[in-house]
Amino acid sequence: MISASEATALVGVGILLTALYLQSESFVDPLIRGIALQSLLVAGLLAGLAWTEQSIELAVLAGLTIAVRSLLIPYVLRAQLQSFRWRVREVRAAHRVTSHALGAVALAIVAWFIFQETLAPIFPQPGAALPFILLVEGLFMLATRSTTLVQVIGYLEAENAVVYAGALFAKSFPLFVEVVVFLDVLGVVLVGIILSIQREVTGTPEEASLSELSG
Amino acid sequence: MDWATQAASVLQAAVVLLLAPLLAGIAARAKAWTESRRGPSIFQPYRDLAKYLKKETLLPRGASRVFVVAPFVAFGTYLLIAIVVPIITPYPIPFAPTVDFLGGGLLFGLAGIVTLLAAIDSGSNYSALGASRTVSFAALAEPTLIVVFFAVAVISGTNSPYVTNNLLTASTAAYLSPTHLLVTAAFFLLLLAETGKLPVESAGLMEFGMIEDGRIFEHSGRLLGLFRWNGWMKQFLLCSVFVNVFALPWGMIATPTLWGAAANIVLLLAKLGLLVAILVVVEATVAKVRLFKIRDFLALSFSLAVLAVFAFAVLGVP
Repeated sequence: MISASEATALVGVGILLTALYLQSESFVDPLIRGIALQSLLVAGLLAGLAWTEQSIELAVLAGLTIAVRSLLIPYVLRAQLQSFRWRVREVRAAHRVTSHALGAVALAIVAWFIFQETLAPIFPQPGAALPFILLVEGLFMLATRSTTLVQVIGYLEAENAVVYAGALFAKSFPLFVEVVVFLDVLGVVLVGIILSIQREVTGTPEEASLSELSG
Repeated sequence: MDWATQAASVLQAAVVLLLAPLLAGIAARAKAWTESRRGPSIFQPYRDLAKYLKKETLLPRGASRVFVVAPFVAFGTYLLIAIVVPIITPYPIPFAPTVDFLGGGLLFGLAGIVTLLAAIDSGSNYSALGASRTVSFAALAEPTLIVVFFAVAVISGTNSPYVTNNLLTASTAAYLSPTHLLVTAAFFLLLLAETGKLPVESAGLMEFGMIEDGRIFEHSGRLLGLFRWNGWMKQFLLCSVFVNVFALPWGMIATPTLWGAAANIVLLLAKLGLLVAILVVVEATVAKVRLFKIRDFLALSFSLAVLAVFAFAVLGVP
């Protein structure tokens, strides 16, 4: 059997892998599934910590993470996909899978070096850099993608990093603050959907790329 | 150096030489089953080999000595690899200390380079196209292999496949470490690419998707037979290293006796059978990616290999 710390490390690397997958994927539906999986892994981490720490708050937080980030938000985002054809794929990203994948790995390494130079003395435990790397990957996604729904996924990734960091470093963090973060995320998703609908009216560069492909 | 380990070396080389076509035959038969075909006999590669060795060898006009010598150099190189990596022995055999993981990778590279030179020397556009494709994809595949070796060195503190095998057999924590799991995944993807399996290459697509086979397009007769044998040996060696060092390192008998080596051959065949089953499932369930998308596939493999080393740096455990 593996120890709790080894299991935490494995889940942490799993979360990092989902982050790299999200960077290199251009189809929106798999991106939504990817962020749901990542949230599920974060929830698994919280559930494991709730078990070892015997903390009801962490258990509630794990349940909330599954309910809101693995089920509700992906459901809302996928419902949006049914209406608009051009949201199914981000065409520009499809041509840059290799560079996005390698860029994501390079970014993770740079983020780790920054962490080592700045936060490592405060958080010396193994795997402490992973939430920071996840945060940087989420922000990178926000900056490099052009479709609103994909940017929302980048934002969700950054929020997952915050919850992951909270689980590792602030286990006794008041539950209501975490709940506020969840509501915040829900708000961002709603704003993202409204912006998407607005873009449908005003047009988007992605639309022009797709119209070239129609036969 | 006692007679038993020397005999094990000879036996190991013979196993690679003689069983490599059988592995290819079993894989072809198993793939046929998934396509609801009866498929060729598992001994078909031996018959093909006999046929090639009997047939006349034709040389393209203008081809130099390189065209003829290359298959023999590659054949000798694969045979050399066969006596330095753990295939039927978990203990170092006489020539094992001369080559570590990196040396093994360089030998695979040497065999690939001489095959490339022969392809270019043929003066054929098809062969040159195959050589060009191989080199462009190798630009991502070779760094992956090197990073995989780095990750192995991180796990075991050495670059010896024998030490890695012993460590992974002894320690469940090392086997289940993120570094080892990631490096195993990266090596598996590399195995698919290097042995011409889907989603990278399909043997049924002829020149449209040819990569490895494109290089030997102009060879015929004995030379083609040798190249085919080389391909089967390469597949057997890579699969053996994958199962014995990365994925399924357990169960090999460490006593340097001929009976122990014989038992290890049976065990190796069982492990390879399992790997072939997995490869066949992969081939039956994935579609071939477009040629320029192979770069994306190899980038994924490279990313996993880099992450394997990175996981060690971040988590502080192998």
